[in-house]
Amino acid sequence: MAEQRAVHPLLKIAVVCGALILFFLVLSWGQEHWDAYTVRILNLCGIYIGITLGLNLCNGFTGQFSLGIAGFMAVGAYTTAVLTMSPAVKQAVFFIQPLIYPLNSIQWGFLPALLMAAVVSGIVGFLVGAPAIRFRGDYLAITTLGFAEIIRIVFTNIVPITNGALGLKGIPPHTNLLWSWGFALVCIAVMVRLMRTTYGRALKAIRDDEVAAEAMGVNLFFHKNLAFVMSAMMAGVGGGLLGNLITTIDPNMFRFPLTFTVLMMAVLGGLGSITGTVISAAAVTIAMEAFRALEEPRVILGLTIPGVPGMRMVVFSVALMIVILFYPKGFMGDREFSLDRVKRLAAGLDRTNTSKQG
Amino acid sequence: MLDTNDAFDASGTNGAPSADLPALACESVTMRFGGLTAVDGFNLRVPKGALYGLIGPNGAGKTTVFNIVSGVLRPSAGAVKLFGVDVTGLSPDRIARSGIARTFQNIRLFRNLTVLDNVLVGLHLRREANLAEAMLALPRHRAEETQMAATAAQLLEEIGLAGVSHYRASALPYGRQRRLEIARALATKPAVLLLDEPAAGMNPAETEDLMRLITDIRKRFSLTILLIEHEMKVVMGICERMTVLDHGDTIAEGTPEEIQRNERVIKAYLGGGAVARA
Repeated sequence: MAEQRAVHPLLKIAVVCGALILFFLVLSWGQEHWDAYTVRILNLCGIYIGITLGLNLCNGFTGQFSLGIAGFMAVGAYTTAVLTMSPAVKQAVFFIQPLIYPLNSIQWGFLPALLMAAVVSGIVGFLVGAPAIRFRGDYLAITTLGFAEIIRIVFTNIVPITNGALGLKGIPPHTNLLWSWGFALVCIAVMVRLMRTTYGRALKAIRDDEVAAEAMGVNLFFHKNLAFVMSAMMAGVGGGLLGNLITTIDPNMFRFPLTFTVLMMAVLGGLGSITGTVISAAAVTIAMEAFRALEEPRVILGLTIPGVPGMRMVVFSVALMIVILFYPKGFMGDREFSLDRVKRLAAGLDRTNTSKQG
Repeated sequence: MLDTNDAFDASGTNGAPSADLPALACESVTMRFGGLTAVDGFNLRVPKGALYGLIGPNGAGKTTVFNIVSGVLRPSAGAVKLFGVDVTGLSPDRIARSGIARTFQNIRLFRNLTVLDNVLVGLHLRREANLAEAMLALPRHRAEETQMAATAAQLLEEIGLAGVSHYRASALPYGRQRRLEIARALATKPAVLLLDEPAAGMNPAETEDLMRLITDIRKRFSLTILLIEHEMKVVMGICERMTVLDHGDTIAEGTPEEIQRNERVIKAYLGGGAVARA
């Protein structure tokens, strides 16, 4: 058996802090020394980990199947972009209709802008969620999908704030590895913490049986909204980071395929698993880039195969089908990967070995 | 915030109910689904501390009564009172908070949670620490989590599930799942416990165990219990008084002996011919 040693809590905190400092030191070194392609992909990994965790909180842990994540990302991306762009750039970009008054003359720092993105997308999340969460299952999915499309179309049409279909250009490239991975770590911490509280248990109870949860005194309106709003906030901040990473956004970025990408990450990792989500979000982001090779023309055994744009999405669709067939709950299901589990597994193997010998 | 944790105070658990008020009362409760009247003018007075039976053949309206009392359905007419306080039409979570807990005819456990977590969810509604305190792991929340875990462990011990507290609820055998449902309901600290066909699908030995458990928890938690049962033997054995429903109408009310002699009851259960032959 694996022996259980009590670790002093202060030592634990020191180790965690040390690991965090080391992690961020490596990141800030990497930001300067790794090539731009690697840095870009790592940034995307961090951002998608956070967003996918948010989606998993709502869809996986609480069982409310929402498809509105792209809408909330749009809200966050536009909020952050409009707040961080300099007045001069705004004047140049908004050439059809000028940006409305208070927004055209302000420029915020990145952190307050991201916090504002969280607040605004949280409010939008509540306005969408409060009526929508009365629906269950497919109806909720369709409703939230509709809301996300409404957000996108509204953004295409409120030209004095969003510059309409032209989108925003010249967004300051604030996002770096520290921001994106800082965001990922905050999301992980929030999720781990939440799932250890009585509120997290109530959310999982709603997922398993809504009727029984309500009969046991769980206030469905409060708890479902809690999950929905937190999910929207994470998506909003993630969207803001994404906008300030690629420095140009337009409403068409935030169509359904974006939601689908995030959903795929969550499903592959396991709806209801934090570690599964982290691993799968990073893996899918990297694979998205790695599989670009499939779309290039190449010669195999003397046969010239022309490049097919979109080929990697076919690969992802097939991969998703295979996973759903053989691991219907994703790679991790609703379990977590932990050292304790590894130890238990090892201990179990040990026991079976010794019993075979004996 | 939106949380209504302390919006509705439990009169059943905290206040001192006066002796003459029934723990649970239904006053001419009527439930119509379109043209179908599932329950018609239903009256019920369950005194404090009683073990009261609600019986009737299939489709008599027993579960409809339960759903009305537990807030799943809002009655078309009439009132439900808990120690004299009107709780008609409150949402199920507020009913639970006011002191009525229930089990389900088709077991409804949180299947993917552990046995312990199932009971802990039952304790959620009596929480003191708010969300911010919980997220920041402030002392009040930490103390509360410790307290909750201890309460849940003790409850599982008393109900005889201590050894399996870390199993998934869905991994338990049927009889133990029923027990877990009762433990989870008890965790909400109810004054009135509604049991919906607790013996359904059990073999005679399990049923006997269950009957012992019910009389036992009634004493230990000073509960008022309203029991729906299909099987006459169970109710006759442990209930002091009972009401018999048939097609939404109350056809009899009284002690088990009175019910057993009641002709309308015999007719309802065995059909008209039985009376003629008897």
